[in-house]
Amino acid sequence: MQDLLSSPILSHSLSLFLILACYLVATVTGLTALSARMPRLLLSSCVLALFAFLFQTMTLILGYHKTFGDGLSGGAYLQLFAWFIMLAAVLLWFKLRKPAAMALSSPLCAALFAMSIPYMQQSIRLPDSLNYSFYMLHMGTLFAALALMAVACLVSMLFLILERSIKRKERVKGFLEDIPALSALDTVNGFCILASFPLYTVGILTGILSAKPVFGTSFSGDPKEIVSILIWLVLAFIFHSRIARAWSGKKPAIAMICVFLLSLFSLFVVNTLMQSHHTFH
Amino acid sequence: MDTSIYLVGLNHRTADVDIRERFALTNHCSGETWCIPVTETIRENIILSTCNRVEVLAVGREGTKEEILSAWAKAREESKELLSSCTYAYTGEEAIRHLFLVASSLDSMVVGEPQILGQLKKAYKQASSAKKTGPILNRLLHKAFSVAKRVRTETAVASSAVSISYAAVELAKRIFGDMGKHRAMLIGAGEMAELAAKHLLSAGIRNLYVANRTFSRAEALADEFGGKAIPFEQIFEHLSSVDIIITSTGSTEPIIRAKNITGVLHERKNTPMFFIDIAVPRDVDPDVNGIDNVYLYDIDDLQEIVEDNLTNRQDEAKKARNIVQEEVEYYNRWLKSLEIQPTIVALLKQHEDMAMAELEYTSKHLNLDEEQMAALRVMLSSLVNKLDHAPLMYLKGENNHKEQLERIATIRHVFGLPS
Repeated sequence: MQDLLSSPILSHSLSLFLILACYLVATVTGLTALSARMPRLLLSSCVLALFAFLFQTMTLILGYHKTFGDGLSGGAYLQLFAWFIMLAAVLLWFKLRKPAAMALSSPLCAALFAMSIPYMQQSIRLPDSLNYSFYMLHMGTLFAALALMAVACLVSMLFLILERSIKRKERVKGFLEDIPALSALDTVNGFCILASFPLYTVGILTGILSAKPVFGTSFSGDPKEIVSILIWLVLAFIFHSRIARAWSGKKPAIAMICVFLLSLFSLFVVNTLMQSHHTFH
Repeated sequence: MDTSIYLVGLNHRTADVDIRERFALTNHCSGETWCIPVTETIRENIILSTCNRVEVLAVGREGTKEEILSAWAKAREESKELLSSCTYAYTGEEAIRHLFLVASSLDSMVVGEPQILGQLKKAYKQASSAKKTGPILNRLLHKAFSVAKRVRTETAVASSAVSISYAAVELAKRIFGDMGKHRAMLIGAGEMAELAAKHLLSAGIRNLYVANRTFSRAEALADEFGGKAIPFEQIFEHLSSVDIIITSTGSTEPIIRAKNITGVLHERKNTPMFFIDIAVPRDVDPDVNGIDNVYLYDIDDLQEIVEDNLTNRQDEAKKARNIVQEEVEYYNRWLKSLEIQPTIVALLKQHEDMAMAELEYTSKHLNLDEEQMAALRVMLSSLVNKLDHAPLMYLKGENNHKEQLERIATIRHVFGLPS
């Protein structure tokens, strides 16, 4: 950490800590406000998370994430993922007029930022043979799909909690009183399924196409490749079931939670603990 | 100031419906029919007359209560003694507290019901149009409205359903959200089911089917609700197009079973269905609740929700009463400041006049220019303010009303102010 502070990228470090602090405070205030049903505190938490998001957007525009000349750091990828999640939460906030999405996304963003710190100094150098635009398409579509999966996971969890209360005829109380109706949550989940699958497909295809010139083969049995294809297969099944079998309600909700957990495994376990082309080390 | 706030009234606790009808002032509280005159004794008044309460709020001198009762009994051509026996009367702080409790729906038969605030606003508007209100009641009523708003915002006293039909509609909203896009079907024609249908329509449902074993009855109900009557035998054909089904038939066996719903759900592409079974014996097989995307509530489930909500409202009412007490104290402070205001003004004026008279007298012997005179006036005003600071603080002391009146009398006596 001392190395980071004393490095020439001090402004980047400061911005990182500021964003992380905002997300942490937004997490604490947001969760407190949701459990105690304090609308003003919830709004303050959302404003704080929005500030963190806008601040990160500004740092991205200024190019703070490009700390290395030959590629991004592993931490920068995690922060980009947080940015996509918060973008989805902001859109959800404005679409459903329910600020809870922001409050519930803040913990994940805070966790991603906190996890990014150890990987800030580790550059992931892009192979020379990789086309930058093609690579950005690969990353952009995958991160957008992952952010949609995160939102789907969030609304699915809310759906399952609310659905369980209604089914079991328990009193709907606490923050559940403020969340959207089951139909609205299912609609958001459906949108996330329909939008994330094509995006993830583009991400996988661009990955396969760019793997050939870089690694000499389109599929090398890399753990990241295996897990990603597994995610794609599950996502394809959910996508098909939603469209052809009119899957709605509980089943797609459980499925999307599983898909997102698998994505988190792919990001946090495969990228950090396994030997892979995508490792952060 | 020798006036105070009085509240005289009767409600569902002190008078049964027969008495409430006999003393209702619904037709005596507008324009020329206003039955409580503004007199030397009663300076301002408002009449609130609803089905559960009749109350007169007034600002007046001693004897206000008796004048109100006389005018009220006279207007209704009833005995004043009978009226006195079933009324309650509050004065000062107690009257303010009662008004705030009424406005916040904490004194209602169903705590938290929303109508009373609207009725109070209407009563105030009528009194204001009839020029029966003055500065005290204007301020008091506006304060009562803001207290009611605060209670609704800061507590959950009015947030949950306390009737079976409304509880059913609240649940439907939790499942479907915007009700405008959904359809409902009423099977059978019980009173509670009809009430639930009415609530659904007011919540935004646009399409309502009505099915009954007697088709003419279904047609009559459909006409009443602006819906469409369907023969009882065709309910399963229409199930796939409705989202909310209210059943209330006299059937001794369930008319809808899980096996009937599986196919319907497939036709509906798994969009949710909500069954509200108000019939006893039940019309919908309880197994239906086990199907994904299908929700079933029977009369007992709804009754349990209502009881739970009522208990919750009572808990919230305790919080609300604390808010009311806080606001009563604020209002009282303002009212007391009104009482001491004339004494403060008189005291300051007396001392200011004395100082200026002395200055006029002394300046005749001195050759002072305008600038020097102005400086002396400022100095004397400042001196008067400083000398009066202690008596003013004594007047504004934070004690009860009686002590305040004693303090006003003491100051007036000590400084020779007219009583």
